[in-house]
Formats: sequence, C-alpha cells, structure tokens
Amino acid sequence: MKKNKFLHAADSVITHSTLIVVSLIFLFPCLWLILASFSKSGSIYTYEGFFPSEYSLDTFKTLFTDTAMYNYPQWFMNTLQIAVFSSLIGTFLVILTAYTMSRFQFKSRKKIMKGTLILGMFPSFMGMIAVYIIMTQFGLINNLWGVILIYSSSAPMGYLTQKGFFDTVPYSIDEAAKIDGATNFQIFQKIHLPLSQPMIVYTALTSFTFPWSDFILPKLLLKEKNLYTVAVGLMSLGETEFSRFAAGAVFIAVPIVILYFILIRYMISGMTAGAVKG
Amino acid sequence: MNMFSQKIEKLIFFKKNAGKNVKASICVMGLGQLMYGQIGKGMLYLTILACGVLYLISRGFTDFVGFFTLGTKEKDAWFGIEGDNSVVMLLMGILFIAAIILFISCYLSNVRDAYETQVVVEKGGKPRTFSEDVRKLLDDKFYKVTLSLPIIGVFVFSILPIVFMIAVAFTNYGGNIVPPKLVDWVGFNNFIQIATLSQFAPTFGKILNWNLLWAVSSTFLNYFAGLGLALLLNKKCVRGTIIWRAFPILAYAVPGFITLLGFRFMFSYGGPVNQMIIDMGYKAIGFLDIDAKWMARLIGLSVNAWITVPSIMLLTTGILTNLDMDQLEAARIDGAKRWKQFTKIVLPFVLFSTTPVLIGQFIGNFNNFGIFFFLRGGLYMDGYFLASDTDLLINWLFNLSINNNYYNIGAAISLVIFLITSLISLLVYVKSPSYKEEDVFR
Repeated sequence: MKKNKFLHAADSVITHSTLIVVSLIFLFPCLWLILASFSKSGSIYTYEGFFPSEYSLDTFKTLFTDTAMYNYPQWFMNTLQIAVFSSLIGTFLVILTAYTMSRFQFKSRKKIMKGTLILGMFPSFMGMIAVYIIMTQFGLINNLWGVILIYSSSAPMGYLTQKGFFDTVPYSIDEAAKIDGATNFQIFQKIHLPLSQPMIVYTALTSFTFPWSDFILPKLLLKEKNLYTVAVGLMSLGETEFSRFAAGAVFIAVPIVILYFILIRYMISGMTAGAVKG
Repeated sequence: MNMFSQKIEKLIFFKKNAGKNVKASICVMGLGQLMYGQIGKGMLYLTILACGVLYLISRGFTDFVGFFTLGTKEKDAWFGIEGDNSVVMLLMGILFIAAIILFISCYLSNVRDAYETQVVVEKGGKPRTFSEDVRKLLDDKFYKVTLSLPIIGVFVFSILPIVFMIAVAFTNYGGNIVPPKLVDWVGFNNFIQIATLSQFAPTFGKILNWNLLWAVSSTFLNYFAGLGLALLLNKKCVRGTIIWRAFPILAYAVPGFITLLGFRFMFSYGGPVNQMIIDMGYKAIGFLDIDAKWMARLIGLSVNAWITVPSIMLLTTGILTNLDMDQLEAARIDGAKRWKQFTKIVLPFVLFSTTPVLIGQFIGNFNNFGIFFFLRGGLYMDGYFLASDTDLLINWLFNLSINNNYYNIGAAISLVIFLITSLISLLVYVKSPSYKEEDVFR
C-alpha cells in the first residue's frame, strides 16, 4: 500500500514537471516578444541574452507616430478593413452553403461535395497567377476590396466543419416546422440560425483570423506601400528594427489572443464537430 | 451500362410523349412556355436565349477559336500592330466553355420545364403562373437560391484559376514567353522537361524526397505530441488543468506569421540564442545559414510543432471527453498496463474520429508554405534550381512561378503535387474505418 502511494506521488511530480516544461516552451517565445516590444533600443544586437537591457514605451510611440518609412497605423486600418469585411461576407456564405448541403437532398449534392474535396487538394496558391490576371481584368489590383472579394468568395470551400454541425441538429425539428406550414427560409431563419450561434461565432472568428494574418494574397495584389497589410509590412522590417517588429506584432496579436480566450469554448466545439464528421 | 440504357429508354419515352409545346421549347427556348400562357417565364427564357446568341456572335466564337490558337498576331510596335494577348485569350476561352455549359443546362431546364407543364396539363391541371414559380423556387428549390452566390464566387476565384493553371501546364507560357509574345500549346512537354531536363530533374527529385520526409515526420510528431499533451492534461492527478491548458492556447492564438518571424529573429546571428552561445565563449552558429541543412530542417520541424501541437491538443481533448471510461476501467481491472490501454483502446478510438483531420494535417504539412518561406525564404543554392535544401515543393513552386516567371513549369509541378496529395489521401481514406461508416458522407 505504501509503495503504491509513493508511486502515485512520483507520477504526479513527473506529470507536473513535464507540464511546467511544456508550458515554458509555449510561454517563453511569447514573453520574449512582449518584453522586446518594450525595449528602449530598436536593434536586436543590443540585448543582453534574451532580454532587452532597458525598458520604455518609446517603441510603441514611434510605431504610431513615425510613419514616414513604416506607416503602421495605415497598415493596421487596411488589415482591419480586409479582415472585418471578409469575415462578415465569408461567414454569411459559409453558413448558407453548409446549411444547404446539410439539409437538402438534391441531385448534384454529392457531386458538389466530391468536387470541393478534390478542389481542396490543389496547392492553395496554384491559381494565384490566374487570380492576378482575373483581378487585372476586373481592374481590382491595388484595391482592398479586391482582396476582400477573393477571401470571402473562396470561404465557402471550407464549409465541411459547419456542415458537420448542422448534421447534428435532428431532422425531426425541420419536419415538425414543415407540418406547421413553415417555408424553408423560415425554418432556416427561425430555427437553425439561433441554434447555430456557436458555429457562427467559430466561423466568424476563423474567417477573421485568416485574412488578419495572411500574407501571400496581399503581397501579390497590393503593391503600393500605403495599401500594405500588417503581415506584409512587418515582413519588410530588418534586424535593426526588431523592437518595432515586436511592438507591431504584439499590438495585432493581443486582440486576437484575447478573442481566442473568450471564445475558446466555441472553438473546441467547432473543431470537434468538424473532425468527427469530416 | 445499366444506367446508360435506362437513360436511353427515358429519352425514347420522352420523344414519344412530347407534345407540340414541348417541341416548340426544343426549337426555341421559352416558346413552349409562351404557348402555355406562361408569359413571364417564357420571356425570361427568350431573354437568356437572346443573350446567349448575342454573346456567341459578338465574342464567343472568336474566344473559342482563340482558345485553340492562343493568338496569331504578335504585337509589333514598329508597324503599330495591336497583337493578341495569349494569356487573356486562354482565360476567355475557358470562360467561353463555361458559358456554353451554363447555356446548355439552361436549355435543358427549359425543355424539362415545358415537359413538366405538359404532364400537369394532361392530368387536367393548370400551368403554373409566374408568381407560383417564384414561390416554388424560394421554397422547394431553396437550395438553388442559397447556393447560387457561393457557387459563382467559388467558380470565379477557385475553379477558374485552377482550370487556367491546368491549361497553362500544357503551354509554354513562362520564361521569355510572356505577352506580348505569343504562347503556344506544347502538350506534355513541361512534364517531360521536369523529369528529364538537367535543369529541373535533380532539383525536383531532391525536393520531393525531402517534402515527403517532412510531411510524414511533421504530421507524426505533431499528432502524437498533441495527443500526448491532451492525455497528460486528462490525467486525474493533474491540478489546475485550465491554467496548464492556457499556455498552448496562447501559442495557438498568436498569428502564424508573427510566430515564424519571431523564431527567425530568435535564431538569427544577432538573436538571443546566438548571443548566449557567444557569452559562453563559443562562436555564433548560423542556424538558418546556407550550409545549415539539417539544423534548419530540425528547427523548422520544431517550430511547426510549436504552432500545430496546440490545435491537435484542443481537438483530441474534445474527442477524449467522448471516450468510454468504463471500458478503460474494465481493462484496468483485467490487468491491462497503461501502454496496453493506450494502444488497444484510446488510440484506435482517437484515430477513428480524427482520420479526416490526420489527412488534412498531412496535406497541410505537405504544402506548408509558411514555415520555410519565413524561416529561410529567398535562398537559392548550388545544386538546386531556384530553391534551397529546406524548400518544399510548394516553396519551389512559388519561387518558380511568382518570383521567376516560370509559369508553365510551376503549373506542371502544381499538378504533380495535386496527384501526390490526392492519391495518398485517397488511399488513407479508403483504408480508414471512418470511410466504411455510412454516415460520413451523409
């Protein structure tokens, strides 16, 4: 009996020390970036070991005031505009597609499902050159709305997670509503929309964060420096501007991190729903 | 074969029974509907017909020819000749084919509609009015309304570009041959070049090997590290699970490019890791330097794990809550050791639920563009054609087609990537237990 107790204690110690190590691995780079953003000097070369030697708020001040070379406020507003509108339109389209694919039996349904699976196998930016040519034809190069258009209209491709969620809603609810004389639109509006709130939150969050941190599309379509998004802008910073990079990174990462922590419940349920049904 | 003969039978039956109004609809779109007194719908179909014919006359036909010739007149500023833009012609040709398919399906729906009305009338009913039709579309055919917008978007920005690039893989578009020069169809030439030409073939082989190794090892590492972490947090003796879980979530929430750029700074010459090495009295190490082959690869592997493990952990945590605890308890009483419990009960259960995710992870890692683009982007090495030894196929594709204009080779490589990933995922998927479950494709 005594031996058993000892084993339990040892097990607990090992488990917790592993957890401490793992947590440090995850925490350390984040902490490093945050502290670097408060460093007094800009270059990475002046640090003592991992951490800056002196701290101040200057970097954040220059980030927003010294805009001649690196117009961070402008980048930030561009990113915000792209992400907000892509998220709104994209969520709308994805929810609509997923709902339709889950609730309606029609002839081309399976074909569409298989088709999207196959389309998803193509390398993501295989068509980038074609997109570029199409956008030139539309005259939407160097235009934030062009980027928004692409993000939101390719969003429905990722409808499977949401479809998995709608699949779990019992079909009998629909039938009951139909017997009561509801049209399909009413069923969607009055029953499924309120029910799928967690899924909508999940979709909105993921379709917000993707444009928020994507860099290929903006780099390809937005050539003017004033139209840069934060991701493209931060990429253009060198080692001597390390603090500025850290400050800019922290400033856009913090809202996302807070959002994730608030909505983590939705994230997990969304991910699991998508995983089980695939 | 059976389906085919069924279709023929249906067609014969249809031919026998089609009334004069249906035949009118076959001749001129919308005419049958007009004869039934369905003015609104008939006019709508007539308008579609008129638009189709107008498009065909005004540019459709030249677009179609252009798809095959890809331009015949080269631009000549000296003589003031405008010249053909082969690339735009290719795109317009594809659009024409799409338009024709759309038009034909409209025509078929017109015939089907007229026939439906005929059946209704023969049974003594009345043809539907326009407002009834609209109501039917909004309710019974609700899916057509909701899907139309997404389908248009996906067509223009996902399907059209992919079809375009597939077409480009069979042309000589790229290198010196870009508009205003004329592009031509070259058949399978690009694929033969990749496989045989000394310029491409060795690079392709080396990168493909590394890419497969990378995809397998990173998927394996991420999956089991994530599962392990979830199991660790699931242990009964762990206190404060929520707090422990917060750290991986923190890593998960930071945008990927920030993490990657941050790690690049961390391992750079002036970065903190090297400074500590210097402080200890050693020479700085170029972790991501041009000769740091395996070092850079290992760093890439671990940075990728840092980014992906949290999401796998969250996912498997959710799945583990559905695990039947009684079963584990029973196994324990029967004397099964922990390892046995894991391999015989937990692992099969988790694997079963996450096969699609595993496939997705594999494809995502196979095509993981960001990792080496950010950590070691833009390096070109000896022995590699416009690539470095950490580059994956997708990075090479980017270097070739977006940075260096080798569009045709890039497109051909995309097709090869597509073939590999789809074959592997198909194989895994067909063998997986979740495929045999009927419900998956519900």
